[in-house]
Amino acid sequence: MLKFIPLRAQAGITGFESPAAEHTQLGLDLDQLLIDHPSATWLGYAEGASMVGDGIHSGDLLIISRAETVQNDDIIVANLNGCFVCKRVDTTARLLLSSAPGARPYQLQDGDEFQVEGVVIRSIRLHRPLSRGL
Amino acid sequence: MYVLCDVNAMYASCEKVFEPAIRTRPVVVLTNNDGCICAACGIAKRLGVGQKFVPYFQMKAQLERAGVVVRSSNYELYADLSQRMMATCERFAPHSHVYSIDECFLFYGRGAYTPPEGWQAHARRIRRTVWKEVRLPIGVGVGPTPTLAKVANHAAKRLAGFAGVAVLDDRAVQRQVLAQMAASDVWGIGRRLAARLRELGIETGLQLADAPPGLIRKHFSVLVEGTVAELNGQVRLNWDEVRAPKKEIYSTRSFGQRVQDRQQLLQALASHADMAGRKLRKQASLTHAMVIFASSSPHDDQPYYRQSVFHRFSVPTADTRLLMQACTAALARIFQPGVRFYRCGVGLLDLRDTHSQQSDLFSPSQDNTALMQCMDQINSRFGHGAVQLARQGGEQRFAMRREFLSPQYSTRLSDLPRIRCEP
Repeated sequence: MLKFIPLRAQAGITGFESPAAEHTQLGLDLDQLLIDHPSATWLGYAEGASMVGDGIHSGDLLIISRAETVQNDDIIVANLNGCFVCKRVDTTARLLLSSAPGARPYQLQDGDEFQVEGVVIRSIRLHRPLSRGL
Repeated sequence: MYVLCDVNAMYASCEKVFEPAIRTRPVVVLTNNDGCICAACGIAKRLGVGQKFVPYFQMKAQLERAGVVVRSSNYELYADLSQRMMATCERFAPHSHVYSIDECFLFYGRGAYTPPEGWQAHARRIRRTVWKEVRLPIGVGVGPTPTLAKVANHAAKRLAGFAGVAVLDDRAVQRQVLAQMAASDVWGIGRRLAARLRELGIETGLQLADAPPGLIRKHFSVLVEGTVAELNGQVRLNWDEVRAPKKEIYSTRSFGQRVQDRQQLLQALASHADMAGRKLRKQASLTHAMVIFASSSPHDDQPYYRQSVFHRFSVPTADTRLLMQACTAALARIFQPGVRFYRCGVGLLDLRDTHSQQSDLFSPSQDNTALMQCMDQINSRFGHGAVQLARQGGEQRFAMRREFLSPQYSTRLSDLPRIRCEP
């Protein structure tokens, strides 16, 4: 698990050491910070550019929680006809919305296989590739 | 009251969690080295291709014709989803007991406690929550004894009119369900026992429950007598006696006091490895895989912590030394400073008979069978723990035939599911 020091970045131009320095602790980890319900949370990679308007780019890591209740306008992952898709959801009009410029909404039909597979609670941009491989 | 939660066709259901494309298709899972069918989803069963332990090569053509999705056993995936399912169920009750990879008991204490929403609604909520949060379909059985909870679970899954949930909180319902069950479907009544019961005219679960105690005591062991008592609502089993089926062996226990010390946690894991190893040898089995886990209490104030590590043995083993090595190796990933551990344990998965095991020319077994036998004999004569092992380090690699293996969707970074972002 990744450890980091919960300190604000400092320019360090004063001659004094931060009075908080001796109180910093190791031990806050990203799992605890980002994930509220570990047993209901799963990870996936975004593939494609349809959600760039929401800041989700191809190759981003998505953290998806099944514990959340879907609310109107949430970004979700759904099983749409046998495929995991990432969309913004309009629960009243039963629309799946993409956020790329010019993308058209998808109207859910009665014959569609559709199940919500969780709410995207975080998305992570991998500015450098993960060293443990992708 | 006791509640038994158990996953329908666990292995086949797990295959569907991260693969929506096969959710509505028939799926079967093969045993190790792709030998036999060991699990089939409901759709495959309805197609009549789900018979367990039929050799794959005999079924191959038929499976292909029926368009069945065939998978090798992906124990890494199953162990992870199992932990998630257990963690979800545990939230609902003050006490819980992992019974096997796909079953757990919840215990609500002796006495007449009833959840505010009622048992029926409570059981349905457990079932709905596991489906929503883990995407596994479970059956939920509620009863006043572990054996009746098992009976209820059977009813929930097999009898018409229950739809996945059965509550046997009243004598009339219990008798009605037992009358529809064969005695051999009662927990703890194997095929041989069932044959002997039949000679005494006992065919159904209800006849077994109504059998005179004297008759049972005369012809059978105290275990069967206990089963009869449990069918009549008297609790006879405690967790230690709730024995796992032969497919897997679990040894797990909550600590008397919370544990925060690394060494103490390792000792506990090692003693579970010892216990599981002993059970393994007693039933003349070898294990191919092991899951090692520890958690804090979901009822404590601090954030819930649970971690499990999956270990595969290159050669199936029944050697406690190798089980303990796996625990030592897993400790670094399980232990977290500051976490107040409440429970830990190990599970041995993917068992096979010692006698049917073929030795491998290139990866010879490291088991010291004579030493283990000697240890078991000394311990059975002078008491458990008369001789113990010091723990050792080291790791192993594995290689086996898994031609139809699905990715490790939830435990390996490179295997994470892909999510389409396309207009």
